Amino acid sequence: MFHAKKPTMNSHDRPMCVQGDSGLVLTTDPKPRLRWTAELHERFVDAVTQLGGPDKATPKSIMRVMGVKGLTLYHLKSHLQKFRLGKQPHKEFNDHSVKDGERVSALDLQRNAASSSGFMVHSMNENLHITESLRRHMEAQREQLEVQKHLQLRIEAQGKYMQTILEKACETLSGENMASASYKGDGSQGIVEMEAMKDFGTPVNFPCLQDLHIYGEQIDMQQLTDRSSLDGFLPTNDSVCLGKKRPSLHGGSSKNPFIWLSDDFRLQELGNMAACLGSQEDSFKGEHLQIPPSTINSTGSDLDSLSDVYETKPILTGDAMGEKKFEASKLERPSPRRASLPVERVNPAIKGAALSQGRNLPYG
Amino acid sequence: MAMAIQEVTELDFSGYSTTTTTTEDDGACAWNDWSPVVNWDVFSRDHDDFQGLIESMMDDDEPDHATVNVPEGCNSSMIMNGDSTSDEDFKGLRLVHLLMAAAEALTGGNKSRDLARVILVRLKELVSPTNGTNMERLAAYFTEALHGLLEGASGVHSKHHHHSMTSNGPYRDDHHHHHQGDVLAAFQLMQDMSPYVKFGHFTANQAILEAVAHDRRVHIVDYDIMEGMQWASLMQALMTRKDGPPAPHLRITALTRCGNGRKLISTVQETGRRLIAFAASIGQPFSFQQCRLDPDETFRPSVLKLVKGEALVVNCMLHLPHFSYRAPDSVASFLSGAKTLNPRLLTLVEEEVGPSKEGGFVERFMDSLHHYSALYDSLEAGFPMQGRARALVEKVFLGPRIAGSLARIYRARGEEEEEGCSWGEWMGGAGFSPVGISFFNHCQAKLLLGLFNDGYRVEELANNTLVLGWKSRRLLSASVWSSSDSHFGN
Repeated sequence: MFHAKKPTMNSHDRPMCVQGDSGLVLTTDPKPRLRWTAELHERFVDAVTQLGGPDKATPKSIMRVMGVKGLTLYHLKSHLQKFRLGKQPHKEFNDHSVKDGERVSALDLQRNAASSSGFMVHSMNENLHITESLRRHMEAQREQLEVQKHLQLRIEAQGKYMQTILEKACETLSGENMASASYKGDGSQGIVEMEAMKDFGTPVNFPCLQDLHIYGEQIDMQQLTDRSSLDGFLPTNDSVCLGKKRPSLHGGSSKNPFIWLSDDFRLQELGNMAACLGSQEDSFKGEHLQIPPSTINSTGSDLDSLSDVYETKPILTGDAMGEKKFEASKLERPSPRRASLPVERVNPAIKGAALSQGRNLPYG
Repeated sequence: MAMAIQEVTELDFSGYSTTTTTTEDDGACAWNDWSPVVNWDVFSRDHDDFQGLIESMMDDDEPDHATVNVPEGCNSSMIMNGDSTSDEDFKGLRLVHLLMAAAEALTGGNKSRDLARVILVRLKELVSPTNGTNMERLAAYFTEALHGLLEGASGVHSKHHHHSMTSNGPYRDDHHHHHQGDVLAAFQLMQDMSPYVKFGHFTANQAILEAVAHDRRVHIVDYDIMEGMQWASLMQALMTRKDGPPAPHLRITALTRCGNGRKLISTVQETGRRLIAFAASIGQPFSFQQCRLDPDETFRPSVLKLVKGEALVVNCMLHLPHFSYRAPDSVASFLSGAKTLNPRLLTLVEEEVGPSKEGGFVERFMDSLHHYSALYDSLEAGFPMQGRARALVEKVFLGPRIAGSLARIYRARGEEEEEGCSWGEWMGGAGFSPVGISFFNHCQAKLLLGLFNDGYRVEELANNTLVLGWKSRRLLSASVWSSSDSHFGN
């Protein structure tokens, strides 16, 4: 763009330059062009400043103030225009990098610096600005990563604790059910609850991997819209199967089977929840909904990898519970049956989640 | 079982009868009791006259409209709206108007109460707590709540006790009669579908962590420990902290209330056992005590065992979705008592209420409607397909709260009571000084909300408060305080 160069440096492959009487350097090509030397430019800038800035100054007035012979309005017009343009974008970029640290990448900043600094003094200051804001930006990002990390651990801990609540409850519930007293009596509530759990794709009796995955998928889609700040935090679009990203965790020790992400452990929790509720062996099944375990096999390869994951993963809840062992073997056996939960459930969920924010009430 | 609502554009005066024969599957026999009281001839025309009725009521502000004259030009400005997208909005608006009319009618004399009954019957036909849109389900709960007020007010106790009505008076958000399995499922679902609980816990915990960063012993007094979830993540954070003495000892004293064998998710003892086990599993040095409140829930600080050299933190979680209501006296007693203990830090989480504290019943009723509609919306936006799950959460937690909340508002009408100010405001007056929210804390809140939905907002207010809101409505606030006498630099 605009580089003030010494007349001897001819980086633009221009024909030779000649210095005229007035001190102006003109090229010798058919159309004589003026070379804006550093000195000339400095005088130009002085004049412009004197006149109140590039927006206030006019070519005519600049010409008058500069008093350089041979300088035409035409020269000044074009130079002034370039000067104005040169100033504008450079200002904007500076602001952006200060205010919106998250968006600007290092590359952007560098590029802006290069393109807008035709004026050596300006460019030096700019570089300093850029370095500063770059530094600040990186610091903020580092801190944010810290926060992310901690948040992840804390949510995990909560999930782990929730697990203990559910386990205890399962024991109590299954105990009650053995006596087959109160639970069946509150048939209606039982149904509501089963319905609710079914909402998340977990059939009551035998939580199917694929169903759990649907739930996870819905959550993923929901969370993945526009989460630029959490790139390292959540699984990315291309691996909806959570297991893919963290094989070590999945195959990991029984000491810490509780895996990030929030949807991931939700899957487990729901699975266990449903599992323990479903582990009641009596006519409970007959009374309530027939919920066949289902397979959604049209959503592609993700499901396969997920089922791999679930097969290798140790079943989380304590070995102390005999019922759980029973459930564990069920989990590992993929169900051959066709989807009772139509695939359509998944897609609208993704669309719906990604797009609308739900019906907006008058007060919303 | 919502009846189909006709397009309003057909104002058909054909004498079509809208007798409300509440059928068996309504399940609420109580409603039938009311119908003979009403002159149904009045309502033997198109539904839409009802709208007109409401309109004329709202215009005149006169409660006595038991006999209806058909308004010739049904105020069409609110009605005519051809496009289908606002159909639902229109229906929602209509429900709101009906609710508002009912609320107004409730505050009047006897005749007006009859009108309220009529309106509630009508509402009951239009909405159901388990089907329909958000607005419809919300309206169902509000309708029930209003019905409860009516019954209570008139002193008539119907034999046919509607199954989810609160019968224990206004100071108990009654969800005990739900089956334990339901409660647990709802609890877990709610945790997964919304950030409310996590927001409160994490914000408080982060502030606590910062306050005790260099302490070896930490003592937390918890006003309402519930199932103890908050402390799991605090323990994890304490165990993994980089600066300060490693593995500080954590002691928690949980307040217990005598009398009620209340067992929502767990008793305090069970919670204690669970926390002990959890702490053991991660290697956190931990001990747990209980401190009994007086029967009237007065807090006696002297009963607490304090140990020299421990950092004292007071934690007060109120109004989280699965929490029970605590009477203002109890909270006030606790917070005042806490002040005398000079805690290093006090964390407070409470519901944000609208500014209509000075208003009458109807204003506060509408504010409450606004509040819960934001809540319902937030759940739906995140989980639009999981209607049944949301319905369960609404049934177990939100519905009872709505009923309790309205009952309290109703009792407080015309009394200009202290229910007016928030606890945050009260704290300043009680001698506590605000403690700033750190960048980390604020950032954590933003990230947390980001996990859920774009509609959630976090605002920083007054330097020591983070407020979680849904769109433009503030819902929950977390504030941090310290006793001005204790030395705590932030």
